[in-house]
Amino acid sequence: MNEDVLPVETTETRTSTFPQERIRNFCIIAHVDHGKSTLADRLLELTGTVDPREMQEQVLDSMDLERERGVTIKASPVRMIYRAPDGQTYELNLIDTPGHVDFTYEVSRALAACEGAILVVDASQGIEAQTLANLFMALEQDLEIIPVVNKIDLPAARPDEVAAEVAALLGVDEAEVIRISAKEGTNVEQVLAAVVERIPPPSGNPAGPLRALIFDSQYDPYKGVVASVRVVDGVLRMGALLRMMSTGADFEPVEIGIFAPDMRSTGVLGPGEVGYVATGLKSVRDARVGDTITEAAHPAPAPLPGYKRLKPMVFAGIYPVESDDYNALRDALEKLQLNDAALTFEPETSQALGFGFRAGFLGMFHMEIVQERLEREYGLDVLFTAPSVAYKVRTTTGEELTIHSPAQLPEPTRIEAILEPWVRLEIYTPVEYIGPMMDLVMKRRGIFKRQDYIDQRRVLLVYEIPLSEILVDFYNELKARSRGYASMDYEFLEYRPGDLVKLDILVAGQPVDALSVIVHRDDAYRKGQKLVSRMKDVIPRQLFDVAIQAAIGKKVISRATVKALRKDVLAKCYGGDVTRKRKLLEKQKRGKKRLKMVGHVEIPQEAFMSVLKLEEE
Amino acid sequence: MKVGGQVDSVKVIPVKVPQVFPFPVQPAPQGWGLYLHIPFCERKCPYCDFNTYAGLEEMYERYVSALVKEIRRVGDVLGRPVVRTIFLGGGTPTVLSPQGLEALFRALNDAFAVQPNAEITCEANPGTVDRSRFQVLHELGVNRLSLGAQSFVSEELRFLGRIHDVRDIQQAVDAARSVGFENVNLDLIYGLPGQSPHAWRVSLQRALACQPTHISCYALTVEEKTSLARWVANGRVPPPDEDLQAELYMMAQDILEEAGYVHYEISNWARPGRMCQHNLIYWRNEPFLGLGAGAHACDLRRRWWLERAPHIYIRRVIGDETTVVGWEELSSQTAMAETMMLGLRLLQEGVSRSRFAKQFGVDPVVYYRSVVARLQAWGLLEVLPDRLRLTPRAYTVANRVFVEFL
Repeated sequence: MNEDVLPVETTETRTSTFPQERIRNFCIIAHVDHGKSTLADRLLELTGTVDPREMQEQVLDSMDLERERGVTIKASPVRMIYRAPDGQTYELNLIDTPGHVDFTYEVSRALAACEGAILVVDASQGIEAQTLANLFMALEQDLEIIPVVNKIDLPAARPDEVAAEVAALLGVDEAEVIRISAKEGTNVEQVLAAVVERIPPPSGNPAGPLRALIFDSQYDPYKGVVASVRVVDGVLRMGALLRMMSTGADFEPVEIGIFAPDMRSTGVLGPGEVGYVATGLKSVRDARVGDTITEAAHPAPAPLPGYKRLKPMVFAGIYPVESDDYNALRDALEKLQLNDAALTFEPETSQALGFGFRAGFLGMFHMEIVQERLEREYGLDVLFTAPSVAYKVRTTTGEELTIHSPAQLPEPTRIEAILEPWVRLEIYTPVEYIGPMMDLVMKRRGIFKRQDYIDQRRVLLVYEIPLSEILVDFYNELKARSRGYASMDYEFLEYRPGDLVKLDILVAGQPVDALSVIVHRDDAYRKGQKLVSRMKDVIPRQLFDVAIQAAIGKKVISRATVKALRKDVLAKCYGGDVTRKRKLLEKQKRGKKRLKMVGHVEIPQEAFMSVLKLEEE
Repeated sequence: MKVGGQVDSVKVIPVKVPQVFPFPVQPAPQGWGLYLHIPFCERKCPYCDFNTYAGLEEMYERYVSALVKEIRRVGDVLGRPVVRTIFLGGGTPTVLSPQGLEALFRALNDAFAVQPNAEITCEANPGTVDRSRFQVLHELGVNRLSLGAQSFVSEELRFLGRIHDVRDIQQAVDAARSVGFENVNLDLIYGLPGQSPHAWRVSLQRALACQPTHISCYALTVEEKTSLARWVANGRVPPPDEDLQAELYMMAQDILEEAGYVHYEISNWARPGRMCQHNLIYWRNEPFLGLGAGAHACDLRRRWWLERAPHIYIRRVIGDETTVVGWEELSSQTAMAETMMLGLRLLQEGVSRSRFAKQFGVDPVVYYRSVVARLQAWGLLEVLPDRLRLTPRAYTVANRVFVEFL
């Protein structure tokens, strides 16, 4: 790090903080792949925050997974010092926001920490629904928007058209739209200048009681939970006893500092500044995103608005492929949970799969991330059952149960009604794909609410639809039917009763609880058939015929047979072959390890996920 | 030689001792099986992944000289050990000149104590032999011929890229008989794409008509990096149909058993008393030496293998370097697993419990009790007083049994 280029410095002994009028806090709103991370990289380079020689692509995405998928999962801030054309030195805090619909709440908190936002739109793709959703969120919070059209260097770019579209959307002059190529570095200085000129400085009360907004938290084994914060009022400093306003829990900070972009201790954060507090707390649950930190000795009268506790929307069973790994799986989930306040899990027992956990996720993407991290970072062979939403069941005795898995459904005679979660779904699409979008949503029990033309070519479609219908494959289907042009966003609406039944799958005559799904009665027959034929394809041939059946209650609605294996033998094994053939067989055996024995039948992980593929073709 | 301050220590003899093995080789008190590899063919068959090369005719002589030298130095290092069987394989050993073959056998008899009743096999391609070549082999002491017949259907032979025709097979067998070979094996390949059960029956019956003492039937297998694998990958040839292969296999069982052959190994049938003694050494997991490019060997403590490329092999021998390029130390666990995986291929004798116990100090039924119980429950393994063997229904799915022991 080049200490000498930083004009105002930051050491343990820093006593004064940056004046609010020379602080700018902003984030970047962009759709996946529209170049948010690349732009952030350029800003870091231009301000000398990161030495170009040490630059690795997408500095802010610290998890390997983030870099690989090109999606930000965590909101990571960075502090830059910028000497503006007016000769003044400014503190710019860029807060990188998560880029997936599963993390909408985190995005809203990150936005709340800013006064402005750079809206990045791909010059060839135009605006997408999720960008729009985040943009509306930013506008609701009165953020100053700096519109930017990126990737003007691409052959398919149509910067004028997209700039006009963005200008119309924001009701600003087209000249305000900055056209850049983050990749080439073209016009990126203009973006920095606009940040200083157009985004208002923070306007908190420097003398007021401390209020700092937590917009992200991460677990660190040495410092405990490190909360990323934006100080709104007052001064956050070492030595004072601090308090989480939602829980009333007090703690003494272990370290206070800034992201430059690595954590650097400063001991103090002034009003309007962005940085971190190492809390010494043991779990991110104790420092939840959206909570307000105040001083225990002089608490603020009210917390900052907007805090809510996140609730998982999607549930799935997680089982170790080798039952010996149960404890290792629990440890791994506990460790992941330290860093992931939205992940929930509790022990679950399956007749078919043995001991495992039922885990809750914000959405499918969140679930995939957890699965990948369990496999990659903890080296576990795990099996995920088909995801399900949380249903509510009204029993004949007047109770209301919440169930997170089809296996928890009570006896049919005890059920008065099953309620399922509905969401409000927004689809943003070019007008030529309205038909295919309508068709897609109607097939999945969607109810049309309204359509708004954004401009002559684009339309926003609003529906209500059961969450379970958009969980699986919906997004891919949406992309496929619109050649990638449509995009979507959704939010929870309410629980509504539905004509739902449990569809059981029997393998070799035995019901496999982990394969049961709750489906709408009208779809049961079709889904049962598809599930059976899918299972027939993925269950490898065994030493005997294996019958696969789908049933509702006692009634079998579909069946198929996996024929017995006929041949699995190496024709030759002579002296020169022994080592190689043994290794071949060892490989075969490792392959078998990924299969789960259910009764006498070996079932691969894919089978448990085949319910996911029901809507394909 | 760099010598330190003290001079009173060791006397260094500045003579280069040729290193034959980079590790001590265990003696084989019962005698070795000896495999000799000739890595040359007139043409490379599209399904073959053996270490063999076409078009290297000008290398034959140098290779034979190197192999002669290798035979002599190995025999030397091991102290002229006892040899129970010799197997000359390839490749096509019969591409070598009579002088070359003669040189090899002279070296073998000098360097090893070849038992008087030793089984000595030579592989031959029906397309590359004539009566005089057989005559030479017989005079050199070869007493068993293994002919790569592969099929008695012309189109199949063409598909397999063989250089011989159906007629050549019968002529080769007749020629062998006429110079005194009684013990003759025919190799057959089945399960070719589109092969009809009828065509397979024809091959089997015509093979039987030659009255061989031994028949090997191999399911066509798509081995990596062969022409066949490329054909399958780009769709020119459909992959072998395993259900069909299973059906043809059972046909072979019926037909060959009916004709009086004993099904003694998964892919091998023999007249009573005519099992291949050399291959039995492999399946019983007994010690064998391998000489020649790419050959493997095993002294029960480790398995090792030699340089595959013939020109490098030759260079190493000439340079008095070892030809051993790799080896694997066998833990007792691995050795036990290999004993099971190999021994269970022997359908009649299976794995001898007493011999296993003598070697590893534990009865396999005890050591592998849960595996044995599981396989018995599946009806794939038979436990007899002194042996463990596959049940007939396991023959076509034997890998499922083998993996349990790994």
